[in-house]
Amino acid sequence: MDVPKPRILTRRWGLAGSHTLAVAEEHGGYASLRKALSMAPADITALVKASGLRGRGGAGFPTGLKWSFVPNAEKRAGKPVYLICNADESEPGTFKDRYCIWNDPHMLIEGCVIAAHAIGAKAAYIYLRGEFKYVKDRLDDALKEARAKGYVGKNIMGSGVDVDVWTHQGAGAYICGEETALLSSIEGHRGQPKLKPPFPAVEGAWHSPTIVNNVETLQVVPWLIEHGPDAYRAIGTEKASGTKLFSCSGNIKKPGVYELPLGYPMMELLNDECGGLLDGHTLKAVIPGGSSVPIMTPQEVAKATMDYESINEVAGSYLGSGGFIVMDERADLVDVLANLLRFYAHESCGQCTPCREGTGWMFSILDRLKSGDCTEDDIRILRDVANNIHSRTICFFGASAAMPVQSFLKKFPEEFFGRAGVSVPDDWRPAASAK
Amino acid sequence: MPTVKINGIEVEVPAGTNMIEAAAKIGIEIPHYCYHPHLTVAGNCRMCLCDVEAGGRGPDIACNMQARDGLAIRTDTPRVKQMRKSVMEFLLKNHPLDCPICDQSGECRLQDYYMDYGQYESRLADPKVTKHKRQDIGDHLVLDAERCVACSRCVRFGDQITGTGELRLFNRTDHTEIGIFPGVRIDHDYQGNLADICPVGAITSKDFRFQKRVWYLTDTDSICTACATGCDIKVCHERNQVFRIKPRRNDAVNQSWMCDHGRMIWQDLTSLGRLLQARVEGQVGNTDAAMQTAVETLQGAEPGTVGVVLGTQASNEANWALWRLAKDALKGASVFWCQGNDPGAWDRVDDLLIDADKNPNTEGVRALTRHDASIGDGADLAHAVREGNLKTLLVLQDDVLGRLGDAADGVAVLYIGTHRNGTVDKAAVVLPAAHTVEQDATYTNRRGQVQRVRRAVHPAGDSRPAWQLLDRLGASLGKAPGASTAAIAFKKLSAQVPAFADMTYRALGTQGLPLVAPQPEAQTDQASQEHHEPAK
Ligand SMILES: Cc1cc2nc3c(=O)[nH]c(=O)nc-3n(C[C@H](O)[C@H](O)[C@H](O)COP(=O)(O)O)c2cc1C
Ligand code: SF4
Ligand code: SF4
Ligand code: SF4
Ligand code: FES
Repeated sequence: MDVPKPRILTRRWGLAGSHTLAVAEEHGGYASLRKALSMAPADITALVKASGLRGRGGAGFPTGLKWSFVPNAEKRAGKPVYLICNADESEPGTFKDRYCIWNDPHMLIEGCVIAAHAIGAKAAYIYLRGEFKYVKDRLDDALKEARAKGYVGKNIMGSGVDVDVWTHQGAGAYICGEETALLSSIEGHRGQPKLKPPFPAVEGAWHSPTIVNNVETLQVVPWLIEHGPDAYRAIGTEKASGTKLFSCSGNIKKPGVYELPLGYPMMELLNDECGGLLDGHTLKAVIPGGSSVPIMTPQEVAKATMDYESINEVAGSYLGSGGFIVMDERADLVDVLANLLRFYAHESCGQCTPCREGTGWMFSILDRLKSGDCTEDDIRILRDVANNIHSRTICFFGASAAMPVQSFLKKFPEEFFGRAGVSVPDDWRPAASAK
Repeated sequence: MPTVKINGIEVEVPAGTNMIEAAAKIGIEIPHYCYHPHLTVAGNCRMCLCDVEAGGRGPDIACNMQARDGLAIRTDTPRVKQMRKSVMEFLLKNHPLDCPICDQSGECRLQDYYMDYGQYESRLADPKVTKHKRQDIGDHLVLDAERCVACSRCVRFGDQITGTGELRLFNRTDHTEIGIFPGVRIDHDYQGNLADICPVGAITSKDFRFQKRVWYLTDTDSICTACATGCDIKVCHERNQVFRIKPRRNDAVNQSWMCDHGRMIWQDLTSLGRLLQARVEGQVGNTDAAMQTAVETLQGAEPGTVGVVLGTQASNEANWALWRLAKDALKGASVFWCQGNDPGAWDRVDDLLIDADKNPNTEGVRALTRHDASIGDGADLAHAVREGNLKTLLVLQDDVLGRLGDAADGVAVLYIGTHRNGTVDKAAVVLPAAHTVEQDATYTNRRGQVQRVRRAVHPAGDSRPAWQLLDRLGASLGKAPGASTAAIAFKKLSAQVPAFADMTYRALGTQGLPLVAPQPEAQTDQASQEHHEPAK
């Protein structure tokens, strides 16, 4: 498509030594920090609000609004505020944050310091997934540079603002990407989600107000300071401003991470950026936002654009974290779904009843179905179990495990009933949309 | 106070009250496993899911929804019914269904809720996850991890109540398993509570293991008399035999807990030192004859040489009867009280429940002494005995001779009590008294809470409630205190002693009432006296 494709997050990617302070500074790094430090915290939050930036971790919650939930100093009664950067990135199909940090760690550090200043935090923690040891090492090196230069630590650039930034390595649990489980983990407890309310912005890490933001979300912030909210709003759609990183994988010619304005046509992402399907193959399905979101049919893909609203309207699915998984006609969806459920049945934290017992149940039915050892009733039970998990659990993991099952069964029932050796029952389709 | 709506019914509750408690107030039961009124909210079982009509988004869990104006929930919709059914199905997905050999059977929330919300048609085709069974985790506890519903009550108890943190949920997904840290054993004094709060048969009591099917048991509300705390209990018995004691909720006394020592007080009923028959000069005999000897001894005593000793081990009614006896039938008898017995073998004390004072009624006796300034204390008694002023002592369950030693040689002791001690061996007459589990009476705990014990089993042997023995003694001496029943004795006590003013058995109910304090600030918060359904 002929829309401009501004590079906000990837603007320094590809430069030799883009991960070093010298290269970052040479290309505008930390200029925004200097500017932000002279701004009142509330003005930064207002700016972010005005930009329309929405969280890139999956839920798409307006970032500035979230920041404004931090209670004021009087209500906090002496409690500190924390900023936590969520770099757990464990959702299958999502692999953008690791590149963000790997290619431009200073953009994240700068974003963290500005965000911490905006919400009144003196400490920011970057929580990295256990497997990202190599990424953490590079980030730690960058932090060392930034600290030496006085961009992190006490009295940053003589502004009187103190913000320290620390990295923390998780142990490799998907659930620790869920923000409240992340909090439990960083506090030193078993990585289990906590009940909401209270919400982290009011009572988070160590019972203190805590803002959790995704890597990509925080990396947008320096650009916003430099260019202002209107420039950001000029990109993307009305309700989804700016650009987004898409992690593209599956049966495509050019898998990788692409930065595109929100609202970009899905077919063009597939055919142009990703180079199209492998030769001689046809499109079967797309999972547009990471493994947890409902699957889309080719007809839906043709109609949708890459933004929160369109994907939901067209396909009842979500943009999620932007993990774009493409499957051609060779994909055995029973196998694909069983594989996904193997993951969820392994990663459920086991805390609440429906998810603890239901994910394993769904997997064992699918595992049987793979070899055809399954009846029509089993498939009905499978759908029931998914419906009985969705919206009834402590955290959104339950729904994340249920949605693939619900959507695969609704949109591709022939594959499942066919494997059980029966045709799709007449009553199946209307009821499947019950959820 | 905010008003919330539950199934269309408005109810006003204190701010912060959750919807399980609010619903209970208007008689609507919201089923739950993980919620416990004296532990933090975990919200993991999902059994309490309700529909939210207004003031929130549903479905949501009742245990984590706090009362606020405008909140309206429903527990009676088809969806709520379906949600409960589904949670039950999930809970049973990997449950072993050991009911025929499970001690919890009959008081198991899986069973109970299944009757109400069950699916009644199994859809489970896959093999169950197996876990560790029959684990010895403490002197009083057995753990069966397969039966666990992962409600985390026991974990929270260890973290929040005893602070010992031995239990954890290990692993994840449907392999989540309750267990104890390697090399650790639960050895605190509150183990039994873990078996109580476990809503299923995962943690069961070793002491009660395979003793009795619970549906044969009758529960009698009472209190524990093993120390001055007076924890509320229920005595579970069948055919005149006690099988176990469990705590009963009383937020003014013991929340929902009790210690392991108190749990076993019923063993005293039949313990070796139990006095089952009367004795005269060490010879076992019948109560009438011993009573006659006691009457003759008291009548034959020279005026001014008789003393009575109140007992902090005995009930308010017995102490009152003895006090009246001294005043009315034994005119001129001096009255004494002594500060407690030796704690004896059981010397544990802590900040939670176990009090250093092992006497259940010290405050009740103190209330009498505050009313009647002529009552002497232990020093006065020792002095009087040393001076030779006292020749006959009528003693209510207090080891007077153990304390006075040789100084009391030559004093004729008439003793009323439940168990053998140093005084019993030297007493001229011994009348066997009923144990707290065997009688109706009241005791006043360390905070001045007056609470009832109720007769659960018949008094063993010839023993009778001490107030009854004293009433009979008074009658034979010409003036009975008038304790024909415990309730009547208490009524008279409350009429005569202002600290007990206006109290009746009915008013004491299941939770008791605080002593009427002379100074207003000592009054306990009335709100905490509200009746609650006992938490399991
Ligand atoms: C099961 C689960 C896993 C999640 N994993 C991640 C993750 O790996 N990274 C992330 O940024 N957010 C993840 N989230 C979303 C976070 O809970 C949270 O919404 C997000 O970090 C907020 O940041 P944002 O507002 O910048 O998007 C996950 C959520 C769920 C329910
Ligand atoms: S939904 Fe699953 S992952 Fe989330 S708290 Fe419940 S059991 Fe844990
Ligand atoms: S815990 Fe309950 S359901 Fe399970 S075996 Fe015991 S009695 Fe039966
Ligand atoms: S052992 Fe009992 S109390 Fe502990 S988590 Fe399991 S079911 Fe709950
Ligand atoms: S009682 Fe509410 S979730 Fe368990």
